[in-house]
Amino acid sequence: MKYVPKALVIGSKRSKSWLAFRGAMTLATSLSALAFGSSIAHAAGTIAGTDILNTAQASYDGPGGPVVIDSNTVTITVDELLDVTVASSDPGDIAVDSGVTQQVTTYQVTNTGNGNEAFTLTADTAKGGDDFDTSNAVIYIDTDDNGVFDAGVDTLYSPGSNDPVLAPDASVNIFILSDIPVSATDGQRAEVELSAVAITGSGTPGTSFAGQGDGGGDAVVGSTGADGEASSFFLIQAAQVALVKSATITDQFGGNEAVPGATITYQLVATITGSGSLTNLNVTDDIPADTTYTAESITLEGAGLTDSDADADAGSYDGSEIAVSLGTVPGGQTRTITFQVTID
Amino acid sequence: MKINLLKRLAMLAALAIPGTAIAANNVSLSSDVFVERTVEKPDGKTAVMLEEPKTVVPGDNLVFVVKYKNVGSTPATDFSVTNPLPKAVAFNGTSDGTEIVSVDGGKKWGSLAALTYTRENGEVRPALMSDVTHIKWKFNSALSVGSEGKLVFRGTVK
Repeated sequence: MKYVPKALVIGSKRSKSWLAFRGAMTLATSLSALAFGSSIAHAAGTIAGTDILNTAQASYDGPGGPVVIDSNTVTITVDELLDVTVASSDPGDIAVDSGVTQQVTTYQVTNTGNGNEAFTLTADTAKGGDDFDTSNAVIYIDTDDNGVFDAGVDTLYSPGSNDPVLAPDASVNIFILSDIPVSATDGQRAEVELSAVAITGSGTPGTSFAGQGDGGGDAVVGSTGADGEASSFFLIQAAQVALVKSATITDQFGGNEAVPGATITYQLVATITGSGSLTNLNVTDDIPADTTYTAESITLEGAGLTDSDADADAGSYDGSEIAVSLGTVPGGQTRTITFQVTID
Repeated sequence: MKINLLKRLAMLAALAIPGTAIAANNVSLSSDVFVERTVEKPDGKTAVMLEEPKTVVPGDNLVFVVKYKNVGSTPATDFSVTNPLPKAVAFNGTSDGTEIVSVDGGKKWGSLAALTYTRENGEVRPALMSDVTHIKWKFNSALSVGSEGKLVFRGTVK
């Protein structure tokens, strides 16, 4: 019903314009029933099918007193302007691992025309200029309009059967789900494009489709060509860890002999490489046979850790192995762990 | 308000005895609306042509032409022409700037620069071209027998 002020055109105060008013009300009611989405502004302009009525008036004093006359009324109908824009809702590259499936890119399709219009949606994962292509692309419509893909809630799009119909200025969120190939490697990007094309017609701005406009007039292609597209990008962010272990022996006689009673200090260096991060990285090491773990000897980056698993710190010893929880570690960093045993 | 009342009386009179009322008019008034269409000429240059449209699209530029003529036998004094602006059209100025306008549906009149616009939240700001609801030309001297002219203003389809 927010359309009413735009659709309401009164050229004069004569009864004819009140008929136009009532006609406009009926139009507005049917529009709101069809409306898809809720965001309504006034950018699209006068609603298609609206009549613009113009009548001038003159008043003067004639010989018989004041006279008011109306001119003829000129009636012009507003045609449907076919316009659409598509924007990516993803703020930047979406970080993914290779081999993951059903990764989501998000777009917003807006009817910037002035009539109700249905749009054909197409996903293009084979764009040139990127490093790899995603596969098995499917399109979903954000049925609950929350901007987030909800499996089981949002509707799978099938061209020709549930093309979204948008009221003027209304928007709908669209998701493309596609699979990242196993072959994609760290640092590679993939472009995923969504296009939306007005079903009534598209092409060179100014192209007219006689009698096909919403509201009964013509449909005219607007400045967008009635064809919009936008891209989101996936970026492979992988990471690997390499673990290097070394040992230093100190015997009780001040030397470095592996004799019973000597202390072995083990050093574990975890080196993380790649553009991504490793999450939940845990390092464990068994205490070797014929050695005894030296209580409270675990260090991480030179700082001591306790043996208890119940406290907040990252280290623990369970009687047979030491464990250190490193959490999330980005590529390019190292973590150094040490612990000590004595030779039995 | 006085004019409105008089106008209503005139309309009532017109409804009651239409033939007489029309015969009493000694001023003719006509309205034409043109749209500017950009046409590419064979030499590659573009020209703006005025066409009489059946249909328009938002953004089209319209030219409104109101023609008047005293076709009677006596001068018409206190002559004025008013054009209420269709709601779907944004005012875009007149050719001569001699008009007065209203931004509140015809209650207050003046030059655009002298008017203010009250927003829904009560805020008052200087009136803008896009606020205009009515355009009026008031003639200082009587419209003598046989004299005619035209008034032109421009608007854009919202």
